[in-house]
Amino acid sequence: MAEARSRDRSLLRKALSPSHACATLLELGGLADGSLAQPAAAHLRDHVSSCARCQTELTLLNEFENAAPGPDEEDAVRWISARLERRFSEAGARPSPWRARHGAALPRRSVFTALNLGGFALAAATLAAAVTIGLREGRAPELAQPSLAAPTVLRSAGITTLSPAGELDTAPNELRWAPQTDAASYSVQVMEVDHAELWSAETRDASIVLPPALRARIVPGKPLLWEVVAKDAAGRAVAWSGKQRFRIRT
Amino acid sequence: MFHACLAGCLIFRGGVLEALSDADLVSNHLAAGGSGASIWLQELFRRHYTKVVTWCLRVAGDREEAHDLAQGVFVKAQRHLGAFRGDSKVSTWLYSITRSECLNYLKSRCPLNDALDDDVAEALPDDPESRPERIFELHSSFQAARALLDRELTDTEKRVFILHYGDDVPLLTITRLLGLENPSGAKAYLVSARRKLARALRRWRASERLTA
Repeated sequence: MAEARSRDRSLLRKALSPSHACATLLELGGLADGSLAQPAAAHLRDHVSSCARCQTELTLLNEFENAAPGPDEEDAVRWISARLERRFSEAGARPSPWRARHGAALPRRSVFTALNLGGFALAAATLAAAVTIGLREGRAPELAQPSLAAPTVLRSAGITTLSPAGELDTAPNELRWAPQTDAASYSVQVMEVDHAELWSAETRDASIVLPPALRARIVPGKPLLWEVVAKDAAGRAVAWSGKQRFRIRT
Repeated sequence: MFHACLAGCLIFRGGVLEALSDADLVSNHLAAGGSGASIWLQELFRRHYTKVVTWCLRVAGDREEAHDLAQGVFVKAQRHLGAFRGDSKVSTWLYSITRSECLNYLKSRCPLNDALDDDVAEALPDDPESRPERIFELHSSFQAARALLDRELTDTEKRVFILHYGDDVPLLTITRLLGLENPSGAKAYLVSARRKLARALRRWRASERLTA
């Protein structure tokens, strides 16, 4: 009985496997997003219309492209994604052998084409170098425990942040950082952990008071991120704090 | 000046990374040496965590195993990013890795030990000659047999049949992957498919007898 079933399964597996005429996944992808050129697209479409195997693969590819966690999957997907993000961010924080030899990499061409900066490419190159250095450590850091003896110095990617950081008893009144000698102004931003912006502002000081509307949104147990970018007199970014994390204890 | 300020604002808001396409992120990562997890690679992966992780969770049905599976997908993607030729979307390329890793994972879990197979068998008449497998034994070519399958079954029945018997995907996993919401999920479609194929086989035999 088990032998017969095994023989049946083996036969079906062979019969239902893709034939030499079946499309590859990359071809199916091209067909689905319209990037496959003619006449290959028309030929492939003909085949897929009569091939249950290719139709199945195409269905799965579409399911994957549109995969969004259901209510019963959300927590697990968030948990796994956070662990993966941490793993690959930590791997990125360690300098690669190439980086150790050559320093931080400049983006090749895409930053300029994406921003369409045209004749201002030189200024953008300076800024892109800054972002390459700054964003290199752009992961959301773990909650740090502030010391009672001295102001907390978390870490620096150019600007040393002073507060808030880690677990707090109450909502902070202000954001504070160490002043930069070459900074004419600072841009600050407070955001959700998914980097959605809650509030942003500009200041010339090394601190800024948080508005009541924002403070009302800082509720116990909810982690938030903040960061500050120092700019020179020409408005160019010259230093960056990295994202700092804090929350009010529950 | 304006452009420099604009660029500064975009950088501050993470706009530079967000403005780049997946293919640009791959190019920049490779231009930076292609090793380690550069900011380009981190951003690329961040964009695709949800779909890869959701997929792996549906395949594994367990949070810890789904994590290991998804991590394997991204490690493999990181290792082989240099082989990405740019002739497809990055997400399609990532799917090909995800699909392969998931099938290997399922194969490693004793594919024939699917308790639901026994349920399916019990739900069908015990007639060896009407087993749908006979279609593939009797027809002169697999192509003709697949055409029969294509003719007789609904789209969902075809998908379930092919995934279960062609790729050894367990019925519970198929239920999750295809988002089937009926009470017994893929099993109902498999039972229905086998019944239809058994009927088609009987009809085919009758017509063969008439011809003879």
